[in-house]
Amino acid sequence: MRNRRVHWMLCWLVIFGLVVMPAMMAAPAFAESLSDAIAKAAKGTEAGQIDPDGAKGYLGIPGGPQLNPIIGLLWAVWVGWIFSTVGAFGGIMAGVGHITIYGLGSYAKTFKTSAPDLNKFLTDSIRVSNQWLVGLSALISSINYQRQKRLVPALGFFLGIGALFATLLIVFTTAGKIKFSQYQGYFGLCVFLIGGFMIYEMSPRGQASKKEAQAAAKAFENTIKSKGDILDQGVKTLKWSLAKTEISFFGQKFSFSPLWAFFGGFLISAVASFIGVGGGFLYVPFLTSVVGLPMFVVAGTSALSVLIGMIFSIFNFMVLKGVMVHWPLIGVELIGIFVGSMIGPRTGKYIPAKVLKGIFIFLALFIGLRYTLRGFFGINIV
Amino acid sequence: MQILWANIGYYADCCLIPFYRLTGYALTDYFIGTFVLGMICVAVGELTVSLALKLNKRYLDELKAEIETKEQLSFNAYKAGDQRSYKALNKQATDAWGKQFFTMAAYSAGILWPLPFALAWLNMRFQAVDFPLAFPLSLLFGPSVGYTFTFIPIYILGRIIFKYLRPWLPYFRGVQSLLDKQKVKEAG
Repeated sequence: MRNRRVHWMLCWLVIFGLVVMPAMMAAPAFAESLSDAIAKAAKGTEAGQIDPDGAKGYLGIPGGPQLNPIIGLLWAVWVGWIFSTVGAFGGIMAGVGHITIYGLGSYAKTFKTSAPDLNKFLTDSIRVSNQWLVGLSALISSINYQRQKRLVPALGFFLGIGALFATLLIVFTTAGKIKFSQYQGYFGLCVFLIGGFMIYEMSPRGQASKKEAQAAAKAFENTIKSKGDILDQGVKTLKWSLAKTEISFFGQKFSFSPLWAFFGGFLISAVASFIGVGGGFLYVPFLTSVVGLPMFVVAGTSALSVLIGMIFSIFNFMVLKGVMVHWPLIGVELIGIFVGSMIGPRTGKYIPAKVLKGIFIFLALFIGLRYTLRGFFGINIV
Repeated sequence: MQILWANIGYYADCCLIPFYRLTGYALTDYFIGTFVLGMICVAVGELTVSLALKLNKRYLDELKAEIETKEQLSFNAYKAGDQRSYKALNKQATDAWGKQFFTMAAYSAGILWPLPFALAWLNMRFQAVDFPLAFPLSLLFGPSVGYTFTFIPIYILGRIIFKYLRPWLPYFRGVQSLLDKQKVKEAG
């Protein structure tokens, strides 16, 4: 009964987020549409100019870059491979594809001074393209976890409220206002953060903590011979209030503070919406360490949180601010991600986990350094 | 590249446009055509992911078994009040859950990949078409909306209908029985 009430609350949250709040704040909608930005740009055939007679390229921009679907597909296969072997770094690599591999970043940069509105519009398009990939990926995961009753709807609700306010804040303060170079710089810093997590895991301290956990788990495993009597399966919300919410999972009780969930959802969604990533790499440590939930419900709940954040963010960017994405590119990328995720489990096992992590730490440092220096200081290291 | 997209668009037109001319009433035809497009997206997505699940079944089963073992142990530890073991097992399970989480996320791509192509085609054909909205919807969404506003709910409706049709459709009948077996196994 309580669960049903929480599900309804979640539905109302989405309706409120997608309909009521934007409707109240919809005045500046479509102020900077693509056609306005193109009209304002200087005309000509030089870099930083719009060639009205040129073939229509990205987003139908005359003379815009012609995206090669083969390159898009191959890069997305690589992203899917990372998703299924390493995990969170796949989202970052999807972003690298939009920024660097498909040439959208360098195209946006040419308009830095000649057509700043177009530069900012393309930056928003890159951000939202990343969010589409992450959001669509989180959608089916959330449905699957919900079927397995491994979602904590009450927690999703509080995280979702945080996400709603964060995405509205980010969309209304940054849409159409962020230059590509600034975005690239912040993206670089975010990659550094992920690199930092990976380095910590590989460090003696991180390894020691992992070994300690392995030993403790093994010891317990040896003491338990029987499977025990599991009374009840799936997540149930027992009690929920603003001060403390209690859930049960496999008959065991866990509690968390909704206020912490709200603040966590707000901060993580703000970062995710701004950079154009899902934020799963922040949700998982937040939910296990700060909120104190078992990993078995964290995966599903973080998928739900990512989904809620992405729905709000994409809706606000696209509907309220008129940001556009290149649909065929998103489609080709989804195919590639899928193919890569099929290849991943078959090939990833031949590469030792340490080597894999080493490769991605190197990539994180390289990408982080390159984007931060290039974005903030205009220094090109390669 | 433009030629490639134009060719794909041409073939899509050949398959889809007849559905948009069925009755001669523009709005009715639009909904019929878009519903057919949504159902094609659902069927192609379901077919892709069912092939993936069959191909990678062994890997997924292994991953699931690992998670179940860790889960069982962890809750036994929690039940026994052994916080140290519970935290240790919880930490250890992170890797297995992480792998499963991102594998499932990637499989989402297998279900949803036809959607952006459908949206791209709709964009080509209906970008200039505005659907005027009546009060009170106009108050919330503005005086008119585009093709996305109608396509997404129609696609969701298609998914719901497909769920009920699956046991009666060739090939998908087999997928349904596989899913049913899985359900029974999980419940048991």
